[in-house]
Amino acid sequence: MSENILKELCNRVLSLFKQTESKEENAKEVACNRLRVVLMQDRTNLTPELLQRMRRELVELLSKYVEMDKDALELNFDQEGDQMALMLSIPVIRAKDEAEIEEALKSDEEETEEDNVNDDDVDEESEESSEDENKEEDEASEESSDEEEIEENDENSNEE
Amino acid sequence: MTGRVIVITSGKGGVGKTTTNANIGTALARAGNKVVMIDTDLGLRNLDLLLGLENRIVYTIVDVVEERCKLKQALVKDKKNPNLCLLAAAQTRDKSAVTEEQLKDICEKLKKDFDFILVDCPAGIEQGFQNAVAGATEAIVVTTPEMSAVRDADRIIGLLEAKEEIKSYKLLLNRVRPNLIKSNDMMSVEDVVEILSADLIGIIPEDTGIITSTNKGEPIVNDEKSLAGLAYRNVAQRIMGEEVPFLNLEEETSVLAKVKKFFSNLIGKEK
Repeated sequence: MSENILKELCNRVLSLFKQTESKEENAKEVACNRLRVVLMQDRTNLTPELLQRMRRELVELLSKYVEMDKDALELNFDQEGDQMALMLSIPVIRAKDEAEIEEALKSDEEETEEDNVNDDDVDEESEESSEDENKEEDEASEESSDEEEIEENDENSNEE
Repeated sequence: MTGRVIVITSGKGGVGKTTTNANIGTALARAGNKVVMIDTDLGLRNLDLLLGLENRIVYTIVDVVEERCKLKQALVKDKKNPNLCLLAAAQTRDKSAVTEEQLKDICEKLKKDFDFILVDCPAGIEQGFQNAVAGATEAIVVTTPEMSAVRDADRIIGLLEAKEEIKSYKLLLNRVRPNLIKSNDMMSVEDVVEILSADLIGIIPEDTGIITSTNKGEPIVNDEKSLAGLAYRNVAQRIMGEEVPFLNLEEETSVLAKVKKFFSNLIGKEK
């Protein structure tokens, strides 16, 4: 009898240890994962404001094609082997139908002529930003509301 | 003679830059090299204390730059090892007292008379860092297995990679605690190396002996029994181009393992 009780006690204690080991991420793993994320951000030279802006511009661009939960959109850096990846997770509410997409693209084309003027401004003011960033800015400013864009660019260039 | 100029840097303060400098310098000199250490931490000099030379300093690097003395007059000889010299930092001046060009010039002159010129860099990434790096062609980045130190080391590595003069840099992992790594409470050596993707030149275990050796002004490499001392001597060997295996710190837990290791080392040496 006493042997069984002892065995059970032993097993319980062991399982306790196993649980704590498997359930909680250990301190070393937490440190490694946090560091990887923070270093990726450090290495990109993207400020939190720029990241926020990239997120906003992506929402605007993608909203033309799908209706999505804008607040639940997640934009994170991730590492896959040696390659750095930008992970975008978008909860789609529903796909837009052809007519809606066409309409969004049409209103886009109408705006491009006005926006071309703004594009020049953007390019001049963000000379320091990399080519990729410029591309994104170009794409985004095509369908964004004009005046806001210019103001933000001014702010950013002041900070630089 | 054309000496090698190696800057010892870290970004973050308190990770053991100056301790590393004092120990590697002493170990290199013990191995027969002519070594000079330059303390560029103007206003916050400490290398003199770690070497126990604080009472012997007459002239500093600022006196050399402002031509109050000749370069050779400012070099303070070590108490034990005549191969080892220190060019001390000025305690009463700030980082602007010596420029990048002036440091470069000093390094060039010292290259003729010494095998190794070790430059002790101040913490931070400002002008003090830029000055210290100016004359160097190699770098040792000191870090510890802590998040903040690793992050700062990554920043420093980025800055070093942008410098054309720096031909190579190596990582020195300081204050490693095998017990914490074993219990998964601390990042392992492999973790840090992988995250920073840099070549390793040394793993130094946390050693309370460092505190006493600092208090005595006697680098721990002179203590034959100390594990940290042995690790630093190994670093010096690697700098000299020899292949020395890294200490396996995880085995150092039980007394039996220590005894075994001692004997296996003995056998290994005889081979």
